[in-house]
Amino acid sequence: MTYSATSTNVALTDYWQRQLFFTMLGAIALVTAALFDYRHLELLAQPSYFLLMLSLVAVYFVGEVKNGAQRWLNLGIDVQPTEAGKFLLIVFFAWYLSRFQDRIHRLLYLLGAVILLLLPLVLVYIQPDLGMTVTLAFICGTLILINGVRWMHIFLGVAAAAAAWPLLRGTLQDYMLRRIEVFLDPGSNVDAAFSVQQALISIGNGGWIGLGWAEGTQNRLHFLRVRHTDFIFSVIAEELGFVGTVMVLLLLFFVIWRLVRIADLAQDQFGRLITFGVASLIFFQTFVNVGMNLAILPVTGMTLPFLSYGGSSLVSMMVAVGLAQSVVMRHRKMDFA
Amino acid sequence: MDERAAHTATTTSIIVRLTLAATFLAFCFRLYSLQIVSGASYQEQAAVNRLREIDTHAPRGVIYDRNGEILARNRPSFVIAVIPADLPTDDLNTDIDEQRIALERLLAVLEANTDPEMAIRIAEVMFLHLGREDFRNTVESAGFSLSFRLVDLEVLKLDDEGREVLEEVPTLIPDLSEPLPIGGLLALLERAVALGTQGSSYKPISVLDLVDRERAFQVAEETYQLRGVQVLQKPVREYPYRELAGHVLGFLGPIPKLAADNYKARGYEDPNEPVGLNGLEYTYQDSLRGLPGKRLVEVDILGRESRTINIVREPEPGLNLNLSLDIRLQEVMHNALARQLEETGAPHGVALAMDPRNGAMLGLVSLPSYDNNIFSEGLGEEYQALEVEDDTRRPLYNYAIGGLYPPGSTFKLVSATAALAENVITPYTTLVDRGPIYLPNFFFPDDPTQAQEFVSWNHKLNILHGTMTIVEGLGLSNDIFFYYLGGGYPDFMVGLGSERMAKWMRLFGYGEVTGVDLPGEVRAFVPDEQWKRLTKAESWTTGDSYNTAIGQGDVLGTPMQVLVSTAVVANGGHVVKPQFVQEQVDTQNQVRWQYEPVIGERVPVDPSLLAFVQKGMWHAVNGNYGTSPNSRVDGITVAGKTGTAEFCAYDPEIQDCTDRDHEGNLPFHAWYTAYAPYDDPEIVVTVFVYSGGEGSAVAIPVAQETLHAWFHDLRP
Repeated sequence: MTYSATSTNVALTDYWQRQLFFTMLGAIALVTAALFDYRHLELLAQPSYFLLMLSLVAVYFVGEVKNGAQRWLNLGIDVQPTEAGKFLLIVFFAWYLSRFQDRIHRLLYLLGAVILLLLPLVLVYIQPDLGMTVTLAFICGTLILINGVRWMHIFLGVAAAAAAWPLLRGTLQDYMLRRIEVFLDPGSNVDAAFSVQQALISIGNGGWIGLGWAEGTQNRLHFLRVRHTDFIFSVIAEELGFVGTVMVLLLLFFVIWRLVRIADLAQDQFGRLITFGVASLIFFQTFVNVGMNLAILPVTGMTLPFLSYGGSSLVSMMVAVGLAQSVVMRHRKMDFA
Repeated sequence: MDERAAHTATTTSIIVRLTLAATFLAFCFRLYSLQIVSGASYQEQAAVNRLREIDTHAPRGVIYDRNGEILARNRPSFVIAVIPADLPTDDLNTDIDEQRIALERLLAVLEANTDPEMAIRIAEVMFLHLGREDFRNTVESAGFSLSFRLVDLEVLKLDDEGREVLEEVPTLIPDLSEPLPIGGLLALLERAVALGTQGSSYKPISVLDLVDRERAFQVAEETYQLRGVQVLQKPVREYPYRELAGHVLGFLGPIPKLAADNYKARGYEDPNEPVGLNGLEYTYQDSLRGLPGKRLVEVDILGRESRTINIVREPEPGLNLNLSLDIRLQEVMHNALARQLEETGAPHGVALAMDPRNGAMLGLVSLPSYDNNIFSEGLGEEYQALEVEDDTRRPLYNYAIGGLYPPGSTFKLVSATAALAENVITPYTTLVDRGPIYLPNFFFPDDPTQAQEFVSWNHKLNILHGTMTIVEGLGLSNDIFFYYLGGGYPDFMVGLGSERMAKWMRLFGYGEVTGVDLPGEVRAFVPDEQWKRLTKAESWTTGDSYNTAIGQGDVLGTPMQVLVSTAVVANGGHVVKPQFVQEQVDTQNQVRWQYEPVIGERVPVDPSLLAFVQKGMWHAVNGNYGTSPNSRVDGITVAGKTGTAEFCAYDPEIQDCTDRDHEGNLPFHAWYTAYAPYDDPEIVVTVFVYSGGEGSAVAIPVAQETLHAWFHDLRP
C-alpha cells in the first residue's frame, strides 16, 4: 500500500494540486477497495460482463465521436466504458476461469473463454481503439495462460491468429498503420517522429543524475510533447537522470512483483486471477509506455501507471491495487476457517 | 488447489517473475545506453533545441549634409502583428472557427471595414508576405475578384550559352489601390497565418505597419483582449527633404529576389531586411547597416524567448555619413531647374555642382525626382516597376549618371585642349570663319554639288565670326574653328584626326565611368576608327572628325562626365573622381573612414597652354560677343561654356528622328557648364536640359542662380 502511494510523488506537472487531490482520492479508493471482500465480486462477474457488452453496444449506436473515434457515452459527463471495462473483464475472466478451472483443458471451455473475450474486443476494435483492444487481449490472454492451458491449444490459438491476420490487417485503421509505419521509418511522419525524437533527446539529456527537479530543458521549454501524460517517463529521465529513473522503474516493478507475490498467496483461484489481472494491467501499461518512451515500441496513447497525470487513471490504478490488497488481506482468513 | 494446479502455479510464477526481471533489466540497459553511452550526443541536441542566436537590430546610420542637416534618419514606427502560435486554435469539435473570429476582431479593431486606406495598407502588407501568385490565388479562391496591371519585371534568365542575362518579362500584378472587402482580407490573413504555422518557429506576422506612436498605443489598448496580437516596434527610414535629394540618397526596400544570394553571402540572413536599393543608401549599405547584435537566448518549442543566456555580440550601430552636398544649394538648383523645365516643357534635366579641386559633390539634381519616403512603405520590386511605368518621364532614373547625350559644344573644351597639346594649333594661331565649309566627296572630289556642307550655329543667324584665336573660338563657340581643329582641311591644315581626338577624350574621362559613389552610372564607347568599323562597318571620315570636335556625331557622355571634363580645365588638368560621402562617423562622433580625394595625373598638356582654354571659357562669359554673359555673378569671375546639342530620338514608326521643327531641323539639348572663381576655381556647375533648345537661354539661368547662391549665401 505504501509503495504504491509513494510512487506517485513525481507528479511534476502544473496540475500537481489536482493530481495531489486525486492521489488522496485514490488512497481512499484503495483503502475502500481493500476493505471490500473481493469474493463478493464473484456474484458481480456475470452482470459486469453484460454491463460491459451493453455499454459497448450502446457506444456503437449512440456513442459520442471525438477525434474520429466513437468511444464515449454521454451520461451527463462523457464516459469511456472501456476504462472501467478493464476491471469488469478482469473480474469476469477471473470468475469464468476459476469457475471452470477443472474443465478448462477441454477445448470447448477454452473456446468459450476466447469467444467471450473476442466479443468485447471486436466492439472496442471498431471504435476504433487499438491500444485498448491490445490491452484487454493481453490481460485476458495472460489470465488464460496463467490459469493453465494445454500446449496443443496454444498452438491452435497461434495458428488461428495467423490465419486471421490477413483479414485483420485490412481492417486496421489508417492511424494505427501510420503509427507502426512511423515506428519502423521515423522519416515518414515528421510530427510523430518529432515527439519520439524529442523524448529520446530528453532521456539522453538526463545523463547520470539528471538536470534536477523542474530543471529539464526539454520539459521546461515544451520540446517534449504530452509530457505530463504519455511522455512523463522522459521527464523523469531528464530531470532525475539514470539513477533516479532506475529507482522509479524499480518501484514500479516492485509493485508488480508484490502483486505477483500476492497472487501466490491468494487463498483461491479467483483471488489469484484477479491479482494477476491487476498485475498484468499495470505491467502492460508500464511496458508499453516505457517502451514507447525508449523508442523500442511504437507510439500509443498509453499512460504510465501511477505517474502520468490523469485522475481517473490514477484512481482506477489505486482501486486495482486495492483489490489486490483485498486479496492479500484475506489470504489468512482461510487458515482460521 | 490440486497438485497439478499448485505445480502449474509455481512454474507460472517463476516464469512471470523471470519475465518481469528480464523486462526491467532490458529497460535499464536501454536507459543506460541512451543516457550514459549516447548521453553527450543527446545533450548536444537538447542544446541545439533550446539555444538560438537572435539578431538584435542595429540602428541604421544617419546621413548628414555638409552643414550637419539631416538628410536621412530613422523614425520610430510600429507594426501590428499576429503570432500564429498564440492565436486561438480552431477547436474541431465545434462549428465555430475560433481563429477566424480572432482575426475578424483584429480587423475590426484596425477599422479595416470602415477605413478604405487601412484596408488598402493591410492588403499591401499581405501582398509582401504572400507574393504575387499566392496573393492572387488566396483572394480569388475566397471568391473576390482582383483587377490587374501589366508591368515589365526584370527576371534573371540563362541565355543559350548559359550566361545570366536580365530579361524584361511582362507580368500581371494585382492592383492594390482599391480596398478589398473584409472577407478578402480575412482570407489573406488566414493564409499568412497558415504559412506562419508551417514552420515550427514562432515569428510575428505583420498585419499593418507604419503605424505612428499614438495610433499604436491606441491599438495596443484595444488589442489587449485579443490573444496572439502584438504591437512591435520597427524603425522606418525617413527623408525630411523628400524629393530634393531623392536621387542622391536613394531608398530602402526588401532585398531584391535577383540579388538574394549575393546578400546572403554578405551575411544578410533575413530576406525581408530592408536594404539600400538606390543612391547612397545602396552604395554605403554595409556601412549604414552596422552589424546586428547577436544574443544567445533560450527558446521554447514555439521559438519564444524564455531568457537571455548570453549576449554574443552587442549590436554595432551603422556609421553616419557626412556628405559634401549642401542641401540649401541643392534646393536652389532643384528649384531653378524645375522652373526651367516647366517653362520649356522639357521632359527632364540635370544640374550638378562639384568642387573641382577634390571632386566633392555639392549638389546633384535630376528631374523629375521622386519622394523617396514612398519607398519606406516598401511594396517591393514589382511596384517599383509600376512607379516607373506610371510616369513616362521615368523619375527613378538618375539622368545625371544614367543618361548618355551628345555633349555638344561643351565638348569643345576637350578638342581645344587636345589641339593645343598636340600642337595642331598654337594659342596664337588664327583661323577664319568665312561661312560654311565644304568637304569634297571622297569619290567625286571634283564635283562641288556632291560636297558635304558644314555650318556653324552663327551662320543661321547670318553672322560671320571672322578671324579667331582659340580664345575667341571657344568664347564664341564657333564651329568652323573646331571643324578645322578636328579634321583639318585639304591642302590647308592637318587636324587632330580620330585617334588623337579619341586619346584626349579618354584623358578627359569620356568612355569610362566617373566613379561617383552612386549606383547606375553608364558610359559610352569613345568613337574612333576601330569603333566605327566594328559598330557601323564604315571607315572614319574627315566629316566624323568634324562632328566629333564639336561634340556631335557619335560622341556621347553623361552630364556627370561633362562636369568632370569641366573640372579638368578648371583645376589645371586633373580628372577628379566625384564623391558625395566625405566621412563615415560612428555614434561617438569618431571618424571611422575619411575619403581620400582621387585626383588623376595631370593630363599631358602644359598648364600655360591649358590657360588658353580657361581664357576661352572666360571669354564666353566676360568677353565681347561671348555666348554666356548671362551667367555672370556679382563680384565673382565666372568662366563657362554653352552647348546646344542636336540629337535624334529615332522613331522606327516614322523612320526618322522625332521632334523636328517645321524646317526639318533636329531638336536640341541645352547644356551649360561653368566654373568660378576664374582665378581660383572652387565650384564647377553643369546644367543639362533634355530637348531644352538653346543652351544659353535654358541652361545658363540655372547655373547662374546656383553660382550666385553659392557665392552670396552659402559658400562656407
